[in-house]
Amino acid sequence: MKFLKKILDKQCDFVKRSPRLKKFFPVLEATDNFFFGPHETTSGAPHIVDHMDIKRFMTCVVIALLPSTIAGIYFYGLKVLAIILVSYAAGGIVEVIFAVVRRKQIHEGFLVTGLIFPLVLPPTIPLWMVAIGSAFGVFFGKEVFGGTGRNIFNPALVGRVFLSVAFPNYFATMWQKPMIGGLSGFVRYTTDAVTSATPLIDFKMSHLMTDLHSLIFGLSAGSIGETFRIGVILGGLFLIFTKIVDWRTPVTFIATVAIFALIGNHYAPNTFADPLFQIMTGGLLFGAFFMATDPVTSPLTFGGKWFYGIMLGILTVLIRALSGFVEGVMFSILLMNAIAPLIDSLVLGARYRKVKA
Amino acid sequence: MGIKTFKGGYRFKRFKGQAKAGMIPFDVPSRVIIPLHQGFGTPLAPIVNVGDQVKAGQIIAEDGSSISSPIHATISGKVTSIEKKNYFKREINFVAIQGDGSKDIARLEGYNSDWSKLDTRKVEELLYKSGVTSLERSGIPTSFKSSVVAPSDITNIMVHGMESEVYNTSLEVLLTGRNLEKFVDGIRILKRVMPNARAMVVLNKSHGSLISKTRKLAKSIGGFSVIKTVSKYPQGYDEVLIPTILGKQFPYGYSAANMGIIVLSVQAVVQAYEAVAEGMPVIERTVALCGPSFKENIHVKIRVGTPLETVLKNRLKNSPARVILNSLMTGTELKDLMLPIDRTYSQIIAIPENADREFLAFLRPGLRADSYTTTFLSTYLRTCKIADTNIYGEQRACIQCGYCISVCPVRIIPTHINRLAKISINEALLRYGVFKCIDCNLCSYVCPSKIPLSKNIKDAKSKLTEAGCDHSLCHAPKYDLKGIDEYRGLKGTR
Repeated sequence: MKFLKKILDKQCDFVKRSPRLKKFFPVLEATDNFFFGPHETTSGAPHIVDHMDIKRFMTCVVIALLPSTIAGIYFYGLKVLAIILVSYAAGGIVEVIFAVVRRKQIHEGFLVTGLIFPLVLPPTIPLWMVAIGSAFGVFFGKEVFGGTGRNIFNPALVGRVFLSVAFPNYFATMWQKPMIGGLSGFVRYTTDAVTSATPLIDFKMSHLMTDLHSLIFGLSAGSIGETFRIGVILGGLFLIFTKIVDWRTPVTFIATVAIFALIGNHYAPNTFADPLFQIMTGGLLFGAFFMATDPVTSPLTFGGKWFYGIMLGILTVLIRALSGFVEGVMFSILLMNAIAPLIDSLVLGARYRKVKA
Repeated sequence: MGIKTFKGGYRFKRFKGQAKAGMIPFDVPSRVIIPLHQGFGTPLAPIVNVGDQVKAGQIIAEDGSSISSPIHATISGKVTSIEKKNYFKREINFVAIQGDGSKDIARLEGYNSDWSKLDTRKVEELLYKSGVTSLERSGIPTSFKSSVVAPSDITNIMVHGMESEVYNTSLEVLLTGRNLEKFVDGIRILKRVMPNARAMVVLNKSHGSLISKTRKLAKSIGGFSVIKTVSKYPQGYDEVLIPTILGKQFPYGYSAANMGIIVLSVQAVVQAYEAVAEGMPVIERTVALCGPSFKENIHVKIRVGTPLETVLKNRLKNSPARVILNSLMTGTELKDLMLPIDRTYSQIIAIPENADREFLAFLRPGLRADSYTTTFLSTYLRTCKIADTNIYGEQRACIQCGYCISVCPVRIIPTHINRLAKISINEALLRYGVFKCIDCNLCSYVCPSKIPLSKNIKDAKSKLTEAGCDHSLCHAPKYDLKGIDEYRGLKGTR
């Protein structure tokens, strides 16, 4: 450790002094900060501060995503690992370029974006597409707005929307059934299974219902990270329990889907699937726990979070049942992302009355 | 009666270095320097001269015309110098006394151990002459101009033993044995002075036996009620305490006294009893020495005016430490150790300065870490936590995690106000309640992005006040406040 510290200190000094390399200081600084904690102390009151920081915050989300990630590799082969690496690399390059050009620090938020993005992709996706999507998502979803903390849309979802619009066939027909049995995906690169429809497509096209058991344990087709639902639920509960995400958004989201689907299913059972099926299919759980709760793009106020969750639920069920798309989670989250600042300002306006000058 | 609490706030649990029960009397120091502004009131001019012989307990500064309480010599000896020094950002007179080693204390005139025989005017005089009336944030009102309001204006006396800070003076020490009786009698004395007041004692619910003992006394002697609360920070603040217990809105920017409420600490009540029934002036304080940088965490009884250096000598560990007055969250760092202890001291806290860079700091299990989140092992293993001054993370942009909103005791949105303060939109700042902020610093504490929220909000407030936009003027008509003119421009030592 001391050895590493010495090297880093030396490099930092060297880079700071050299006029040409000075630009790349953020990269080195990020590495330095990654390995070693800060040496600053508090100035004035409060004299002590919480031990939590953004790195740990983001690391906790990554930990919560691990069950889904490992399950993804198991189901769809080592190619998933390659997808994740490509996603980190492509997005990371954009992040670094921006840090260098803007002379700002590299933000830890990318740790999560780089992992969430591959998990919402179909397993058949080619690697070059992953690279484009990840770079696009980070660039247009985050950096053009000014980096993490200022972005309006969830960068991973921006990337996915871009890919699903640019290459629609991968998101309509190229789904695969997962491999199971033995070591399956851990020792193979890809699955050679033929393409298959997702449960949501089955329902929409032919009103077929997939059984609950295969939905929970991920035996049906879907995006890489969303199918192992028991892992998604565990990860989500972990995040709520450790207070990393607020419980309001996922709970209201899922509850609204359940209630709204129940009503819809009662009147039009062939258009609206039943509540349990709605919750257990597609990216709903994954979206509710990991994407809708993204603190930057969701409303800040508690009142806003309730409203956000309810609207997400209604939109998701509506898009799933009445639109040409089979899945509505992605669009409803992006739509609500766009109006999250509006929700906040409405809530703030209602709670804090104008002061008369 | 149930437990009363408020929304928001944060409980500091299991910090290592709480002062142990038991008290060590401190030797009478050979030299003291006494600031002539202690607690609530205006700074005073001395009435003794250099070279005068004084006795411990003799009044050395008094001013009947301004809102103030007398200040006493705390040891017997000779006045060696009177000079002005900077004391908590104000120029204050200091009287230095070289002691002659005697331990005697001059008692106040006319005290009576059976205080009920004294007439009310005499009780008031004893309280005033002893200096008890200057304790706490807005003083104790008497007919001697010791507070901004008259005694008859007071409708509620609240005594709090909340222990809501990170480190607290232990209630067990303050209320052992005889002290509990003194405490109960102290409340009755204060009620005598303020006949229209209802008295209540607010205690931390973890002190089960103490609460039941106090309740028993309250029932048999009468005169006050006991209320249980959770020791969430900042429950001890007037601005939080009064809405929690009485359900009244607090006029931010004013003191509790303006509402007709006085909030007292346990120690002040005991000292009120000692003044009236024992003739004891406020020349001693029970101070808890807390924090991991002390060799031993104990309570000491110290004469006011003892230089900090004398108190800390041989008590601190060798490693660099930061010495802080009263509160880790809001207290001032005591850099000049030549400065003395005064009446307002109740804790001296020393925590290690930690500038070490930990390897892979963000992945550590955190057996000794305190956090609002439950991502550290200390939450699950219930281990003792160590407080130090490291900031544990780099400053980043706000990610809107909402922690500051959940902990804010006055229900404002710190991060939103911080954002507005940066672009300084005064109207919006007022609208979103910048003046509601009570400077508890909890938002800065929990922020994972390490944004100095409370400092920025404080700066915004002082900028607005400088610009002549004083919010307190606007909302004053909404409340039935007393003595506001006297209160304006006159606040406690810090």
